[in-house]
Amino acid sequence: MVIDTEAPRRAVLRRVTGLARSTPGRLSLIALLLIATSFIAGSLTAMSVINRAEALEELAMRSEPLSHAAQEVYRSLQDADATAASAFLSGGLEPAALRDRYEADIAQAQAALSRATASHPDLTATLASQLPVYTGLIETARTNNRQGFPVGAAYLGEASALMRAQLLPAARELYRSETDGVAQAQQRAAKFPVAELTLGLLVLAALGLAQVYLTRKTNRLLNVGLVVATGAAFVSLLWVVVTSVIVIGDVNDSRTGGSGRVAVLAQARIATLTARGEETLTLVARGSGQNYEKNYVEVAKELEGLLEQAKRTAPSAEVDSALTHFHAWQATHGRIRQADDAGQYTEAVALIAEPSFDELDADLVRAIGLARQGFSKEIAAARGALVGTVVGVLALAVLSAAASVMGLWQRLKEYR
Amino acid sequence: MKVRLVLLALLLTACSVGPTEPAKITPRAAPPPLPPQASELSEAPTSAPNSAPNCDATASLRPGPLPEPGQMPDGSTMAKIQARGRLIAGVDQNTYLMGFRNSFTGEIEGFDVELARRLAQAIFNDPAKVQFKIVTSAGRIPALKSGDVDVVVRTMTITCQRLAEVDFSAVYYQAGQRVLVRRNSGISGVEALQGKKVCATAGSTSLANVASKGTKPVSVPNWTDCLVMLQQGQVDAISTDDTILAGLAAQDPYTEVVGGRFTEEPYGIGVPKGQEDLVRFVNGVLEQMRADGTWVALYRRWLGQLGPAPTPPVARYRD
Repeated sequence: MVIDTEAPRRAVLRRVTGLARSTPGRLSLIALLLIATSFIAGSLTAMSVINRAEALEELAMRSEPLSHAAQEVYRSLQDADATAASAFLSGGLEPAALRDRYEADIAQAQAALSRATASHPDLTATLASQLPVYTGLIETARTNNRQGFPVGAAYLGEASALMRAQLLPAARELYRSETDGVAQAQQRAAKFPVAELTLGLLVLAALGLAQVYLTRKTNRLLNVGLVVATGAAFVSLLWVVVTSVIVIGDVNDSRTGGSGRVAVLAQARIATLTARGEETLTLVARGSGQNYEKNYVEVAKELEGLLEQAKRTAPSAEVDSALTHFHAWQATHGRIRQADDAGQYTEAVALIAEPSFDELDADLVRAIGLARQGFSKEIAAARGALVGTVVGVLALAVLSAAASVMGLWQRLKEYR
Repeated sequence: MKVRLVLLALLLTACSVGPTEPAKITPRAAPPPLPPQASELSEAPTSAPNSAPNCDATASLRPGPLPEPGQMPDGSTMAKIQARGRLIAGVDQNTYLMGFRNSFTGEIEGFDVELARRLAQAIFNDPAKVQFKIVTSAGRIPALKSGDVDVVVRTMTITCQRLAEVDFSAVYYQAGQRVLVRRNSGISGVEALQGKKVCATAGSTSLANVASKGTKPVSVPNWTDCLVMLQQGQVDAISTDDTILAGLAAQDPYTEVVGGRFTEEPYGIGVPKGQEDLVRFVNGVLEQMRADGTWVALYRRWLGQLGPAPTPPVARYRD
């Protein structure tokens, strides 16, 4: 038995082309097309909005906290190393305050590290494997120091070399990658709404064409249904464009007033701790620390540049205070070097306890905290602007489709 | 009940896909930590002793009568030091017993350090008027040449090669090179170190000596770095002067000094080239210390664990 598969297909084709040739058929087709256009454009626009909202959520919930965690890893490691050297320098039984600070640093590094590890285990592998090695060396150094053995200083030197050669570069890499994550999410959240704009204009154009066709066929200027549909599509487009512009503005503000400021301040804080480490090691080396002093001068210069930059781009009381304390610290450092070079080693070591360094560090902590608050405020505002947009866009798409169908139905009825 | 369970198990196994490789946890491989600037030498250091010119190294300049403390002769090097108000001495802070940092007080102490204090005593009548600058083995000659320090008192062996760049006092201590190993290592002396990793500081005569014995020399900045590497199992032995080894052995009961002395290491106080008045002055102070028993007292205090105090080395002068 032979079945003619071509026959039914040809029949369907004939019916469709027949329909397309008659006016009612065309009107039905237009109605179908308008429904499809509204729904497709509506859902695509909604998806774009969802993408933007997700980028904002990523910023608020993941990227920024992770970048902060990475910065904390870097900062606390740097501080642990400087503190270990200070504790050694002070001689005798290590001061309880320094030991506490070291332990807090290690705990903080570990906590921040586990947070970063949860999302990027590959980036934190070196840190996770080398941090226990570092603390082991520090404890060996302590044990030997306690017995009065100079080999303790050699273990301390080995620990510090491990920190500088392995841990700090890995932490820097982690921090860079996490801040890149923030910048990327910001870019995604602040994307110009090309798709939304194109789709919206497409819907408007389709509705306009339908209106023109109807006017030509029926000699009636306006079709109420199509007018309502056009209005709905226009409101939808306006809504999406306006919220996008608001979000873009907020995200840009979050960059200049938040993450950008945090980046500069965090760099300044790390530079502060690095300079402190170099200052301490210069004294530990006792006359053979020219390299450390050279590093100190370099890092201090960089630090001054960063603080000036922070003052220029985002002036605040904290940054002013930080600059004041920085200059006070520089003056103290000058006195330390003078005393050490003049052979007054004990006096030089005593000067290192002057509070300007700790005050500078505290200023930066406050400034970073404020900048982070600024960041989360802007992102929250951006997220607030998007609330209801997805539902609104979809509802307006349904309204637009329904109104077009109703408008066309009225015309179709005239052909019955 | 049991049967049903077995059936269920069978059913489940039948449904499961083929076996998967059990997940493995592999740690990130990292080299064990090393002291900073530790390096395995591929070729012998350039300061090999046999390449040095021949000379009568240990003959120094004869001292004249010592001036009274605080009254250094006008125009002399000592007068300049006196005018500055302190002697600047290059010492070590990592060589236990010879020059090391007392980790409780933070002060630098030891046999060499005490010698520097005696020099300050002779110039100022005050042993505290001395500033210590820490120098590494390799940093001793540069520090003297740049005028960074007035003297270097840091287990410094007098050699002809060094005499070409700096001056030396008379011999103040006669050391000799031996070997420090882990107990039960089976190594009995320098002969057993062929092809083994042996640690010594960069720029020391010891490093050149071990390199010439067919070992694999490893160089580090400080002697304590060698002990770190020995404790971490990264070298098989440390070889240097018995004084330094005694200080290292005192910090780790699981090490022992083995074999006899295979070199002579006469220690001298390093003085910048051409400052003959300072060399004669230092020799005068050393004469005094030998004569009045100070040398023996210092030996007993710092190096007593090496055995009973020997007679101080006899000074030789070329006038």
